[in-house]
Amino acid sequence: MSSVDATPIGAGAKARGAGGRRPIGLLLVAAPVALVLGLIIWPVALSVFDTLTVHGPQGLEFSLEAYRFFFTDGFSLRNLWLTIRVAAICTVLLLVISLPIALYLRFSETRLAGYIQALALFPLFVPSILLAYALIRTLGPNGTVDTLLVAAGLPKMPTPYLTPWGPIIGLVWDNLPLTLLIVLAGLANVSRASIEAARDVGAGSLTILWHIILPRIRGTLLVAASFVILGLFSAFTLPYLLGPAAPEMMGPFMRRTIIEVDDPVQARTQAVVTFALCAVFALFYVRSVARSRREQTS
Amino acid sequence: MATLETRNLGRRFGPTRAVDDVSLAVGDGELLCLLGPSGSGKSTVLRMLGGFEPPSAGAVLIDGDDVTRLAPERRPTGMVFQSHALWTHMNVFANVAFGLKLRRLPRAEVRRRTEAALDMVGLAGFGERRPTQLSGGQQQRVALARSLVLEPKILLLDEPFASLDQHLRERLREEVREIQRRAGITMVFVTHGQDEALALADRIAVMREGRLEQVDRPEVVYRQPRTEFVAGFIGQMNLIDARVEGGRLFAADMALPVALADGPARLALRPEDLGLAAATDESGARVLRVTDFGAHLAIDLETIDGQRLKATAEPDAGWMAGMRVALRPRRFAVYRDGHLCPMPAQRAGDPPVSLQTLVAGQPAATAGQPVWHHHQH
Repeated sequence: MSSVDATPIGAGAKARGAGGRRPIGLLLVAAPVALVLGLIIWPVALSVFDTLTVHGPQGLEFSLEAYRFFFTDGFSLRNLWLTIRVAAICTVLLLVISLPIALYLRFSETRLAGYIQALALFPLFVPSILLAYALIRTLGPNGTVDTLLVAAGLPKMPTPYLTPWGPIIGLVWDNLPLTLLIVLAGLANVSRASIEAARDVGAGSLTILWHIILPRIRGTLLVAASFVILGLFSAFTLPYLLGPAAPEMMGPFMRRTIIEVDDPVQARTQAVVTFALCAVFALFYVRSVARSRREQTS
Repeated sequence: MATLETRNLGRRFGPTRAVDDVSLAVGDGELLCLLGPSGSGKSTVLRMLGGFEPPSAGAVLIDGDDVTRLAPERRPTGMVFQSHALWTHMNVFANVAFGLKLRRLPRAEVRRRTEAALDMVGLAGFGERRPTQLSGGQQQRVALARSLVLEPKILLLDEPFASLDQHLRERLREEVREIQRRAGITMVFVTHGQDEALALADRIAVMREGRLEQVDRPEVVYRQPRTEFVAGFIGQMNLIDARVEGGRLFAADMALPVALADGPARLALRPEDLGLAAATDESGARVLRVTDFGAHLAIDLETIDGQRLKATAEPDAGWMAGMRVALRPRRFAVYRDGHLCPMPAQRAGDPPVSLQTLVAGQPAATAGQPVWHHHQH
């Protein structure tokens, strides 16, 4: 009889305990939520509202005119397309470059690995404006590379400066540390023993990479790609300083539209379109994180 | 069906010699245990056998062929890792079948052999499960099946059951022994558990600080430890500071006849070889604690000079904490500078009569001779 009575009492105590903790938890969450609401969600909502309305004779009216303009304007579309292309190329290059470095850093036992890691993370500490000017000095016309080529009796190279390859080179350099760190974190979950076990049953390096390592870090690579793409869409300094004038990437395009063209509604429309594209990749990221959580708990 | 040999195997990590001058020969179908404390180099030896660690010196031979420079994927060895090292993104069947698929065997044969291997480790029907859905013991069985399915000449096991609980460990140990007997496979088994080594091994190689201390059959390692380290490491052993004077060894309140030069020495006594008699006065050792294990009593003693000793007695011997006892060693060994002192068999007429000096001489020279007599009491 006593055990039957004990259950509701215990359950009640548990419920009170959880209720007692709830205000503290809500308070802790309140500050960041308020900041996000006030400084991000509210202005974003205003912007979106602006792009969807026009001032008509009866006051504000709903209108898709701003978007109709953006998606019929060849110049805007070319800029959007360039941004997507640069982001795609950069992402592929970053993954292709950082994966071998990360593999080396993860599984090498030499002291050299420490220096290579420091070197790979170095761009993290260089402001992108310095990087931009350094790249102009080295890869620009008559820059260091040209000087060396001429000294070696070779023809000058076609400079990437002011072509889409300018920002691509700069952005890859700039985003390498972040990508590398994410991939390294993913590789930390691939135990040395699981690779040794594969070698033990006769697998060579490529087989191990394809059948053992890549399946284990697929989620990580997705996360890295989403992060990089999000960063690339909002990149400004490097495309502005290294990229072509037309077509231009969305960052410089938005700045020019609002400052030089003085068309805030069109600038906001560009921002909303960019944001919508980013949201798709953010969704990828969130889903991948949720899935890996599920796998860990199962 | 294979023999394994190492010749003067060595491995340095910077200035430290993790493995130093290890020469071993493992016979066809033999199960050798590498036993030693953490950091004694036993895992490094195993990893060199498997090809995961390049030796700094020496050679590894399998069936007489030098495989020292061969990569793991080219060696006829299979390794079972301490951490299972299963591939969690594959199901159990794919884990076991992976090596067979790499060998491009027909699909039907891959299926047949994989299922046979799973059956052998008692996991038939578990193929579709994920490794994460299995218990620790089941995971280790999958790892075992993954190695066995390739029919390696030599199976290497690196503390495979260290992460399992005692009960499961004992069961898996028996299963491994059974599989080893049935398949006649040559095995090297690394462990730091002496029970495991004594229960499993055909021979035990005791390692300490990268070197081999003794390689012998389990009962020889237990009864005739060649060094003080082996004596202390295998089984329970009372190691007591003693001194020899005029042909007698004095330790605690014991005086034992020995044929040794005067000087300090260490007396080694197994708890089961330490007989107890009721003391007539207060001069004997004091019983601190008596633990009843059912089959025997474990008795903790403190000698008059403050040394702690362990003894075992019959369950109905009637010893209780607080009693005073006289120590009556039935068998003992003496070590000097860490090494067993060779002594001639006991001279007749030496008092006390109940003592027998049971110490091996040079094991090679005395092999086959009954140097260790059991005293019946």
